[in-house]
Amino acid sequence: MSVIDILTRVDVLCKKYEKYDLDKQWAGADSMSGNDQFLRLYTVVEADIEAAREKSQDAQSEKNRAVVATLNAEVRRSKAALKAEIPKLEKLAAKKVKDLSKEEMAARPDLIVALAQKIEDIPDGVTVGRRGGTWGRKASNPLEIKLDAMHPDDLMRPEHYEQTEESLALRQEYEMRRAKQDEGLDIIAAGLTTLKDMAGDINEELDKQMPLIDEVDTKVDRAAADLKNTNIRLKETLTKMRSNRNFCIDLILIVLILGIGGTLYTYSFSPFTPSYVCLQPLLMYQQSFAVTREQLSVFILNAIVSC
Amino acid sequence: MCVKILKLGTLRKLEDGRASVEEERGRVKVAQRCMTKANYLTTLSFTRWVKDWANATPLFEQAALNFKLVKMLEEAKLAYQQAAMGQIKQSSPWMAAKHMEAAGVLAKELSCWNEVVDFFKQASALYVECGKVQPGADALIRGARAVQELKPNDALTMYMDACRLLEDDNREQMAFDTYRAASNLYIKLNKYHEAAVVLLRWGQAANKCKATQSQCKAYLSAIIVYLYAESYEDALACYNNCASMDVFSKSDQDQCAQLLFSAYREGRANEIKHVISTSTIIPHLDHMIIRLAKQLPQGKVMSQEVPIMDIT
Repeated sequence: MSVIDILTRVDVLCKKYEKYDLDKQWAGADSMSGNDQFLRLYTVVEADIEAAREKSQDAQSEKNRAVVATLNAEVRRSKAALKAEIPKLEKLAAKKVKDLSKEEMAARPDLIVALAQKIEDIPDGVTVGRRGGTWGRKASNPLEIKLDAMHPDDLMRPEHYEQTEESLALRQEYEMRRAKQDEGLDIIAAGLTTLKDMAGDINEELDKQMPLIDEVDTKVDRAAADLKNTNIRLKETLTKMRSNRNFCIDLILIVLILGIGGTLYTYSFSPFTPSYVCLQPLLMYQQSFAVTREQLSVFILNAIVSC
Repeated sequence: MCVKILKLGTLRKLEDGRASVEEERGRVKVAQRCMTKANYLTTLSFTRWVKDWANATPLFEQAALNFKLVKMLEEAKLAYQQAAMGQIKQSSPWMAAKHMEAAGVLAKELSCWNEVVDFFKQASALYVECGKVQPGADALIRGARAVQELKPNDALTMYMDACRLLEDDNREQMAFDTYRAASNLYIKLNKYHEAAVVLLRWGQAANKCKATQSQCKAYLSAIIVYLYAESYEDALACYNNCASMDVFSKSDQDQCAQLLFSAYREGRANEIKHVISTSTIIPHLDHMIIRLAKQLPQGKVMSQEVPIMDIT
């Protein structure tokens, strides 16, 4: 087991049981404002590595590719920043600190190496299989496409700015996808314009119809009120016409008329009236049928009574 | 006067042809009888010093209906005219207007175009007389539509009278269809400046009733009509006037107009065609305007040096 592995294992164990280490907590409070700047920077870098690792794990579990790309880019940026801190740590590790043992001083470079390895091991969606690489390596393969991982030596090479087949293909694919997206957006824009136009026309039509409907509403209300009044008046009129009082009056009048008619008829057969002479042949005709005057008047009176 | 008398028995074909012919003959007899009696009642004589319109009018109406059913259009038209006169004498302009319209429709079927115009104008006047402006305008519009193929100038006069009636009654929104019809007719007659004037009037009416969509479309249509008529200066002046209004200057139609003018300023016909073909605003205008726009640019296109007024 190498020193690096032992150190890593010790780190994990210490971290697990950190809360029980009162000295460390107290010392952390002291040493932060104390002389050991190496320890301070080391702690900060470790925290940043942890944060970058968590972000990298989130990126691996994320399904949305856009979010994955964003997280990976942040992880790469964090890794580049952390790698820039390593030379500072190396300088601070060389400084002598009071109350620090020689073994601890000797272990510091190994700590830095382990830290660098941890930074390299954080997956960022681009670099794969970089185990075993150390800090201070030579310039990488010039033809490999790397994103957010610029080495100063790479930038100085003249071939760095030349196009390769891979970069051309990438550019073409990028242009093609962008053109497709533009096409789709144009179609959406045209559809939205049509919808906007239709909505505007509908709005204007509704504004036009609103006063007309209000007018119709008023007129219908007025017509309904008139109809209601007319119905009430009709009902009253019908009630008056069909009342019992009117019926009795009608009956009495009929009886009176018949009575008057019968009386007149009876009076017309009296010998003291001029009409008697006129009606004589009729009387004789009646006698031929053996109908007497008395029987006739009785008949008429009976008819009146029966009515 | 055009006279068309259709023979009886050539009309409706029922299973029992004889019954329909007799029915029609019966109607004709009834109609003629009504007409004769009504004419008698309205003829002054020694015994009659006043025309009896009260009794004659229903007879005229009945006669007109029966003549119309048996397709004796000339007689029906005369009967309707008399019925309208009777209603006027009885101070019923609404019914009179209805009869005049019916007479106008019959005149149209008889191809008596002058009479069509007269009858519909009279009907409109009668509607306005009884306080109904909308039906009056509608009558003018119907009459204009009936004669616009053969008497376009009269039709245009009637359209503009209808618009004026509605504007006076503060019912500009109901006049939009009339403006469109009038402008389309002017375009058909190749009177582009008049069409543009009507479109601007439409925009003004739309501005009054806060119909911003129609207003902006009308202004853009007017600009396109001016450009089609090869009047770049008029189009530019029109645009400058319209752009002074916030409603238009903030609209999509203004952006479309700016693109069009910038293409005209550069003097490139291809660019103008490209602007029109790729525009998403122009396809939503009236179909006649779209047709004109697709034929732009008209005439020789030179790069224009006239600057657009800076509206900021």
